[in-house]
Amino acid sequence: MGILQWLQNVVTLNHNFNWAYVWKYLFAPAVIQGAILTIILAVISQFLGTLMGLLLYFMARSRWRVFRGISGIYVWFFRGTPLLVQVFVIFYLFPYLGLARPLRAIEFFSQIGFTHGVGPIFLDAFLSGLLALSLNEGAYMREIVRAGIDAIDVGQLEAGKSLGMTYSLAMRRIILPQAFRIIIPPLGNEFNNMLKNTSLAYAAGLYELLNTSLSIGGPLFATLELLIVASAWYLAMTTVWGFIQGYIERRLNASNIEPGVKQGNWWQRAFGLSPREAGTAPVLPTEH
Amino acid sequence: MAEQKENEHMATYGGTGAHTNGAHPMVDARDVHKSFHGNEVLRGVNLQVRRGEVVVIIGPSGSGKTTFLRCINHLEKINSGRIYVDGEMIGYRETSDGKLAEDGERNIARIRAQIGMVFQRFNLFPHLTALQNVMEAPIQVKGMPKEQAEASARELLAKVGLAQKADAYPARLSGGQQQRVAIARALAMDPKLMLFDEATSALDPELVGEVLKVMRQLAEEGMTMVVVTHEMGFARDVADRVIFMDEGIIQEDGTPEQIFTAPRNEHLRTFLGQIRKA
Repeated sequence: MGILQWLQNVVTLNHNFNWAYVWKYLFAPAVIQGAILTIILAVISQFLGTLMGLLLYFMARSRWRVFRGISGIYVWFFRGTPLLVQVFVIFYLFPYLGLARPLRAIEFFSQIGFTHGVGPIFLDAFLSGLLALSLNEGAYMREIVRAGIDAIDVGQLEAGKSLGMTYSLAMRRIILPQAFRIIIPPLGNEFNNMLKNTSLAYAAGLYELLNTSLSIGGPLFATLELLIVASAWYLAMTTVWGFIQGYIERRLNASNIEPGVKQGNWWQRAFGLSPREAGTAPVLPTEH
Repeated sequence: MAEQKENEHMATYGGTGAHTNGAHPMVDARDVHKSFHGNEVLRGVNLQVRRGEVVVIIGPSGSGKTTFLRCINHLEKINSGRIYVDGEMIGYRETSDGKLAEDGERNIARIRAQIGMVFQRFNLFPHLTALQNVMEAPIQVKGMPKEQAEASARELLAKVGLAQKADAYPARLSGGQQQRVAIARALAMDPKLMLFDEATSALDPELVGEVLKVMRQLAEEGMTMVVVTHEMGFARDVADRVIFMDEGIIQEDGTPEQIFTAPRNEHLRTFLGQIRKA
């Protein structure tokens, strides 16, 4: 009884919590701008991280030991240290490289209309977040790319070679298109993570969604209210992404590679409950 | 005309020192050795295959016949020896001090493009339709215009009896149909030599016939073929020459009649005895 009373007080009677702030700032221009910046940061970081993952995979498969070594140390480092620390390190590295001031001087974001925020969006803050997220993602994407490519039967490469294809042509035309079908579901999960991990760019002072919300909420003594605003936006983004991911996966499966795989209905896809398990290999033709 | 072509060929490739006069065999394997982790599976294989000849290689499993076939288009590296395909050494080039160095990737690919290969497990590209499977290499490797590649691919699919299945993905085809698409895919590169690696071993018994029929037809058209198979009927009817391999070497080499009715080699007699019992 005491617990219920306490919960009721938290929600209805607590004078320090004011729902009005939530409604007031949910669609505030500053918050929307922060959300847009979050999406931009996530999309670019995921793209660069995926390229990095491919590069690291081919380095790991290289005949030269030095490339294999670099790839291994890279993954070891970026998976072994916190992403938050990586953001800090890159941010505090810029002054040593003489880059902090010149980057601050470039008013890139204000020139493309990001002027509604709670403060200026400095390029060094954005690039710290972008670099840390991309480099960190590269380490994880290497493992995902590896799982995708290694799942393809070696006979596929041999068939390509026997037709006169070089390794790179067979990779491009035969192996990677098949591997991408395997990579897409875990890649979608990575992007879901990425949308939320952008909040760590807060540490570099970037006014993305979380930092914007905290900066509004702090002076108003409404931090919790504004955190609810931020959470609502993160949920909206990941939910929409869930739909997009489900759509992409259905389109890929339409090419009959896996006939008869059940896809689940719209709500299963949106909430990540699709019966299709991530990382399943295409069914290779077998006779026995 | 043919002679002139031959001379041009010699002018281009005669420098290898391997062939100094006259027409060369389509396949010329000399003292080929191959080991896997210290286990020698090929212990000096010598084989010449003439243009237009159908050579069937038989032998017990583990005899090295599949490995040898895969060496002919350099899917396996060899430890020593030489393999020439239509007068060109494949996989290696001779350095000035007479040693072998692995050839550049592009040159290997160029020679492989002239050799068709059919695999036991088909190895069709599952993300492409039957038609796209057949068109892929002519477009990507030869740079053939798409329309021309499609026309010739449809012709080849019709030839193997699968004109109706052009737009089907491999997963929708039976094993026999997949293997026939795989043959069409290899033929699309207009190869001068076809290698068949136990092309019917992965098929259900009732599907073997349709694939053998296509192979038979190819042989009749004069294609040079090296066929590794367990189908003794095919060897007897279609082969110009049957090779019996065991323990990493060619134990006996003769016409189907010699091999099947008058085997001299002890290993071969044992092998044939086992087959007849089964």
